[in-house]
Order: sequence, then structure tokens, then C-alpha cells
Amino acid sequence: MKVKKLQLVLMAMLIAVPTLIFSQAKITGLQIIENVYNRETGNDSQGDLTMSLINSRGDQRVRKIKQFVKDFGDMEKSIMFFVSPADVRNTSFMNWSYDDAGKDDDQWIYLPALKKVKRISSDSKSDYFMGSDFTYDDLGDRHPTEDNHKLLREETIDGENCYVVESIPKDEDYMYSRTVVWIIKDKSIGLKKEFYDEDEELLKTLTNKKYEKIKGYWIILSSEMFNVQKDHTTKMELANVKLDTGIPANKFTERMMKRGLK
Amino acid sequence: MENLLNKLLKYPWLVLVVFVILTVGFFKVMSSNSRMETDLDEYMPQNHPAFVYSNQAEEWFSIKDGIIIAIENQDGIYNSGTIQKVKDLTKALQKMKQINKDDVTSLYTADNIIGTEDGLDVKAFFKRTPKTAEKLEQLRTNVRNNEMIFGRLVSSDEKVTVIIAEIEDDVFSQEFYQQILELGNSFQGPEIIHVAGRPIVEGTMALLGPADMKRMVPIVILVIILVLLVVLRSFKSTFFTLLVVLFSTVWAFGLMAVLGIPIYAVSTMIPVMLIAIGVADGIHLYSHLHLFLIKNPDATKKEATMDMIQGMWKPVAMTSVTTAVGFISLLTSQVYPIKYFGLFTAFGVMMAMVFSLALIPAGLMVFGLPKWKKQEKNTDKNKSNFASTFSAKIVKYKYATIIITAVVIVLSITGIGKVWINSSFLEKFEKDSDIVLTDKFINENFGGTSTLNVILDSEEKGAFKNPDILEAIDRMQQVVDGTLQVVGNSFALTDYLKRMNKVMHADSQKYNVIPESKELVAQYLLLYEMSGDPENLWKVVDYDYKKANLTFQLKSDNSKAINSAIAVIEKHIPELEKLNIELKYAGSGYKGLVFTDLILKGQISSLLLSLIIVIILLSIMFKKFIAGLIGSVPIIITAIISFGVMGLLNIPLSTTTALLSSIAIGIGIDYAVHFLERYKIYATETGDKILTSQHTMQHSGRAIVFNAVVVIAGFLVLLFSVFPPNRALGALVSLNMFTSFLGTVTIMYLLLFVSNIYFNTRGLKNHSERKL
Repeated sequence: MKVKKLQLVLMAMLIAVPTLIFSQAKITGLQIIENVYNRETGNDSQGDLTMSLINSRGDQRVRKIKQFVKDFGDMEKSIMFFVSPADVRNTSFMNWSYDDAGKDDDQWIYLPALKKVKRISSDSKSDYFMGSDFTYDDLGDRHPTEDNHKLLREETIDGENCYVVESIPKDEDYMYSRTVVWIIKDKSIGLKKEFYDEDEELLKTLTNKKYEKIKGYWIILSSEMFNVQKDHTTKMELANVKLDTGIPANKFTERMMKRGLK
Repeated sequence: MENLLNKLLKYPWLVLVVFVILTVGFFKVMSSNSRMETDLDEYMPQNHPAFVYSNQAEEWFSIKDGIIIAIENQDGIYNSGTIQKVKDLTKALQKMKQINKDDVTSLYTADNIIGTEDGLDVKAFFKRTPKTAEKLEQLRTNVRNNEMIFGRLVSSDEKVTVIIAEIEDDVFSQEFYQQILELGNSFQGPEIIHVAGRPIVEGTMALLGPADMKRMVPIVILVIILVLLVVLRSFKSTFFTLLVVLFSTVWAFGLMAVLGIPIYAVSTMIPVMLIAIGVADGIHLYSHLHLFLIKNPDATKKEATMDMIQGMWKPVAMTSVTTAVGFISLLTSQVYPIKYFGLFTAFGVMMAMVFSLALIPAGLMVFGLPKWKKQEKNTDKNKSNFASTFSAKIVKYKYATIIITAVVIVLSITGIGKVWINSSFLEKFEKDSDIVLTDKFINENFGGTSTLNVILDSEEKGAFKNPDILEAIDRMQQVVDGTLQVVGNSFALTDYLKRMNKVMHADSQKYNVIPESKELVAQYLLLYEMSGDPENLWKVVDYDYKKANLTFQLKSDNSKAINSAIAVIEKHIPELEKLNIELKYAGSGYKGLVFTDLILKGQISSLLLSLIIVIILLSIMFKKFIAGLIGSVPIIITAIISFGVMGLLNIPLSTTTALLSSIAIGIGIDYAVHFLERYKIYATETGDKILTSQHTMQHSGRAIVFNAVVVIAGFLVLLFSVFPPNRALGALVSLNMFTSFLGTVTIMYLLLFVSNIYFNTRGLKNHSERKL
């Protein structure tokens, strides 16, 4: 009798355990990443961005930027005006990025001392954003189809239940060999991300320090990228965020770049 | 002292066994614990202001020495094979664990800042190797149009391109050096791969110098053994004389190992000093013994040994103590390896004394007296006759002796004026060696293999965005580049700004100047940061634009070249001071220059200090100040002639050659003390000046000749060395031995003779009147 009971219990476990696992693993790595990529952040946004660059000796440079972003459906346009330091005030930068993965961003810069708008073109999207430790891709530009994603495990950090997803680029020449990201399950926000270089060594870690729900959207307000190999840090802080204010489409033109901040 | 030595004579076996056991112990410690110091920075006095500043600046701007790998293709580099090699070699270097990925610069990694119709483009020259003729031609055009690259990474005849891998000071090892050379070799053909740069030169030197020494030293010792056999005419004597040198060397290095002090490059001079100085004790002891036995052929070994101890322990102890004190004066040097060199050589000298006074008598007691061949009698007669005539001739032609000495000294002093310090590593190699030829090849095609960093420092934040300041720097660059043949080119923040200004104005040459406003400078820099690799900027300026690094590339690492560049740069200091900018220097080449200067100054001051100490010690030992002065004559003559010959023969002072003047002290004291002591003894014995002279010449003079001949013969072997600094070493040691010897038996003897010390005035007068 006893033996039979035990057998039953064992059988029940053998059936039940895999079922439990499968029921939880329904979501794939790709889906998780797509959820993050497609997370609604409003049609347009504006805010004051403070970018602090800190080198290995602890020297710090702070740049204040006023930025405007608008989603045009198949493309996203953004425009930024430097507020400080004084010698670059009103230098402006405009970026048009396209949903089409094959199409490179268009970028312009306006130098008030030269009174000219110039196009800047760069080789690849691995370029660093304004001398920071962030690349354009790191800032959320990278399309999910460019990598193979794999859900590694689930983990709780900072009291948040997270998926841990590993992404390996399909293009072997890409600057990262792989990235590992911790994504908060119910918010589809990345909490932490590790970037590994071509030699599989840890290159950078990204930590999102502050995120808030504004007008119903989850917005990251403070993040920090630490380049482990160069011992260099970039802090990005966003303040006075306004969403869906209906920024006019003609805000994103060369004319507006030249006009600058009042 | 004498009692103690005589007591030891009763237990010769015990003495031998104890010393052998202790030596074996030191040898074991030495062979298991010794550590060679290869990081040249460890040699520098770290708290010297010039080094402190340079080290700081090196950290601010990541100034590092670069390994230069040149890829040469006689048919031009613009073909897919050669370009592929540039890429592969760059990647291979980036993968090496000793090299940071970002520290490799080549055509593959370089940024090309170019102007387009409507803006600016910063991109790589190529990512995938261009395959078509059209794409290769495009690459050629891009390089030609970029003055930041053309002539710097690609030679102007387009046949050579370089890859520069910067490395930290402490990563260089023998293994790494081999890896780099093997890597270079594996890319050989049809292109020719050349490997150069300061780390490679340092590496080759660290490898070649000791390897050459390892090969030459056994031959030196062999020659010394042979000559010792000839002069001492006894295997036993030769054996024990060498044993003294060997044991003292083992003890010196053994003690270093026990105390955990690493072996520096200058430490390899310790055995050189100990060989030159250590054989003297043995020769003098055996020489005394020999003379005693000629006079007393029936003496027992105990009698002979006791006479030897009685007659010789004092001069042996005196010479050793004064020599050791002379070396200890090197402790005043600011350079640690030199302090250690002085300290451990002094220890070795003292040990050589202990072994000479304990081991040699013990050896005599255990193994019996040396057996000399019979027919020597005649030659000895001849020798004693020769000694007498020689001393008489010196006195007879005293004015000639004095005049010749004076002429030699005057000549030497003019030579000293020409002595120059050279911190060059490259000039230590043969003119036709691979390393020199490669360096020459790269210098012909590019800016230069050596660098001098000029650090500009301002109190004001953002100073280096100010066009006035930038223009002053640009002017300085153009003047220095333009006036000096040895300066290949220069690189600074100004080069970025001029390039950007030009590019942003449709590549117009008119705009290849510093932008006119501070705002434009700031905005260009922001633009560069946004589109290029901002890391590059931090090699020429700091975060706050308060400090800037200006790099001059020199075609020679020789001190004259660096000094000539510094002389032109210094002319710009007043202009920069008006703009509140301070100018200082940094980099390994500059540090080498300061370091050599420091060694030299330390060497000269310690030489003077030890001279004073020696005069005082000799005055005390011989109880007469005049004796101290006379005793210092061989040292002074040796030192003056040594430096004089270097000046006249254009041998520059370097760390090793400067140290050689210490030999002057060591040897000079030996000769002077032995000679003075004998002279004093015979003076009291005979009371006759002429007899005293003859006896002294026959006794001390003879030993001094033996000593000089042995060491000169040994060190002349080094003239066949393949490493030029070792050749200079051999020649200078031999020269110092020779002048010490000659100075002692001629001018010092003459001074002694005419000074009349050790003779009472009355008796002396009679003698002089009678004999002369």
C-alpha cells in the first residue's frame, strides 16, 4: 500500500513539474524584448536632460540639454538644444531615425559660431552618443530582429520580478558579442543591462535608477552607464518631462535648429 | 687583529669548511631568491619633482611608449594583400593581453575626418578590406588628403605604413618581447615587417647586454686565471686568489637576495668591481710570501704564513676599509640602484678582505706553500734590478715625469670639457645592427621613433579653447618642426581644430588655421566628440581644458637631440607665460635625460666626497696629512684621465660608464696604500731613501704590476664583445687599471720621494746629497 501511494505521488510530480515549467515559460526572449521595444512612451515628449560625464580620475563634465522627441509612425524625430556649458549654448542637434532596420539615421548639427547647419554622417550605429558611454543603440534604437534572444531565467532584484534575457547579435561584426538584460515583468522596463565586447569580456553595465509613470507611460528618468574597461561613467537625468503636448511637426527642421532657445 | 688571525691559523680546516658552507648557503639563497628588475621606472627616484610631474602627466594623457610595426611593400601599400595585413596585424595586436584594444593605432583604426558638400564626416578609412582598384584608389586619395594621417601613419612615398601599439611601462617582459617579434615575423613576405620603438629597444638591450656578459665573463675569468698563473706561477695561489673574488661576489649577491633586493642593471657591475679590486689582496699577499721565501728559503709554512699576516694584514685591511668607504659614499645618490650598488660593492670588498686574510692563510696551512719553479731566481734578480733602475730613473728624470704628468692632466681636463651625457638606448647598439637600421628606416619615412611630450598647464578652466593660446601653441609647433632637422613632426589639440576648421569650410586650405572664436573652438570640439572617438581628444587635452599635451616626434633618442628640441621650445616660454601658461616636460625620453643627469651629478659629488674621506682616512692611517694627500694622487689622476679620455674619444657618459669612475677609487686606494705602507716600513727599516725606494718598487711595485696586468688582460677580452657598452666597459676598466698603476709608481712615488716623509731631515739630506 505504502509503496503504491509513493508511486502515485512520484507520478503526479513527474507530470506536474514539467507542466508548471512550461506554463511559465510560454513567453519567449524575443517577445520580452519586443514588449520593451514597443512599450508606449507617448506620441511626443520634451524635457530637460542633464548628462554628466565622469572619467576615471573623477573629473566631471555636465551638459544641460533641452530635448524634444516626436513619433511620426515609421520614423522618430528628435531635436536637442545645448543650454550649458556657455560656449556651446544653442548648439543644436537633430536626429531622424527610421523604423526600417536597413536605413541609417539622418543627423544634423547647427553650430551657432559658424551659423551653419551641417549634416554629420557616421559609419555605424555603434557610434557613441555625444561623447557619452551610450551608443544610439543603447538608447533604445536597436531593433529586436537584429539579435537572437534567449530567456535565461527569472530573478528578483530590488524587489522587482525580472526576466533575464540574453541577446546575441546576428551580425558577427557588431560591437557587442552579447548583452544580458534584466526586465521588470509587469512594466517591460529594463532595470539593468550588461554589455560584453568582441572578446566576450564585460564592457559596460547600465543601471536604470529611477522610473516613473507619467501620463500612464513608464518613463526612465535616471540611468547610469558604467564602462568597466575605461572606468568611465555617464549619468543621464531627465527632468520636467512633458508628454503628449502636441509638439508641432515643424519643430524638427533646420530653421528651428538655427532659431535656438529663447 | 693579528692575534685573531694567528689564532685562526690553528684551525685552518675549520676556517675553510665554515666559509665554504656559508658560501654554499648564500649561493642557494641567491639562485632561488634573486629577482631581476626590468621595469626601468623602478630605477627612477620616484619623488624627484621631474619624475613626479612626468608620471602625473603620463596618467592625465595616457602617454605611453609605443611599439612601432612598419609594413613595407616596395610596390606600394595600396593593394588588398597589404591592406588586409594592416587589418589582421592590428587585430592580432589588439587581442594580445598586454595591449589595450584602444591603444593600437593604424590605418584600420584611425578616424578620417573629412568634409563633404554639406557637412562633416568622421569615419574609418576602411572596415572591410577594399578589393577593387577603384576602392583602393579611393583609400589612397582619402589618406593623401588627411594631413593628420599622411606622413604619420603612411609614408609619403606610400610604400610603408605603421601600426603603433602603446603599452604600459610594467607589461614589458621577455616573453612579450618574443611574442611581438614572432607576430611580426609571421606576417613577413612579400611585405617586409619592421619592429621598432622604445619598448623594443629597451627589450633588446635588456636581452643583449646580459646575454653578452654571460658569454664574455667566463672568457674574462679564464684569461685572468691564465695571467694569474703566469705572474703567481702557482696553481694553488691562483686558485685561492680567484676563490676570494668568487666568494665575495656570491656573498654580495646572496645578501641582496636575503634582504629581498632585486638585481638592477647596474648591479651587474658589482662582480666587475670585485674582480678588479678583489684579486689585488691575493696578489699582494702571495707576492709578499714569495719575497719572504726567497730571502728565507728554509722557513716553515707556519713561519712564512705568519710573516705574511704580520706584514700584510694592515695594508690589506686599510685598502679594503678605504675602498669600502669610497663605495659607501654612493649612498648619497638619489638613485636607489646606485645606492645598492655602492652598499653591496662595499660589502663585497670587506668580505674579500676577510677571505683574503682568513682563507688564504688557511689554504696555505692546509695545502702547503705554493711551489715556485726553480729558474725563477734569475728573472727575479732581473726584476729587482729593473725595479731599482726604474725608481732611480723616475727620480733622475723627475722634471720630465712631472711635465709629462702635467701635460696628460691638462689634455685630460680639456677632454673633460667635451664629456657629454647620453641617455640614448639606441646608440648602445652597433651602427649596422638590425635595431639601429630599422629605427633609421622608420625615421626616414615617418616623423620619428622617439617622442618628447610638452605639457602646458593653465590655472584657468577652458584655457585651451582660447584661440590666442591655441595660436601660440601652433606657432611653437611650426617653429620647432621647421627649424630642427631632428624633429619630424608634432601633434596637439591644434591639429584637430585646424583639420575640423578646414573640413567645415569645404576643404579650403585657407581655413587650415585655428578657428577665430572660443565658441567655435568649443563647438568644433563638441562636434568631434559627437562624431569621432572622444578618447582621442583626452590624449591631447584634459577634461577641463586646463592642461594640454603637445607631442614632438624626434628622429633620435640621443640626449643632444632632445636638448636641441628643448632649447627651441624654451624660447617660447615668455610668450606662453604672458598667457599664464606653464610649460613642463614629460615622457620616457625626457625622464631618461633627467635620470642620466642625476646619476652623473650624484656620481661626481660622491666621487668628490669619497676623495675627501679617503684623504682623511689615509692621513689618519699614516698619521700624516701629507701622506693622505699623496695617497690620493693615483685616484685623482685615474679619475681625470678616465673622464678626459671619454671626452676626447667621444664616449658619452651613461649609467654604466659614469659608475666606472668608482673603480678609480677602489684601485687607486689599493695601489697607494700598499705602496705607502711598504715605503713606510722600509723607511724605518733602512733609514735610506734610495734603498727604501728600491725595496718598495720591488715589493709593492711588483705586486701592483701583477695586479694591473691580470685585470687589464682580463678586461681587454671585453673588447671582443658584440654589445658596444660592454666594449666601452672593458676598455675603460683596463685604462683605469693602467693609469692607476702608472700614477702610483711614477708621480705618486716621486711626490713621496721629494716630500721626505718618513725620513728625519738630517739623515735625509746626507743621503740625497750623496746619491743624487
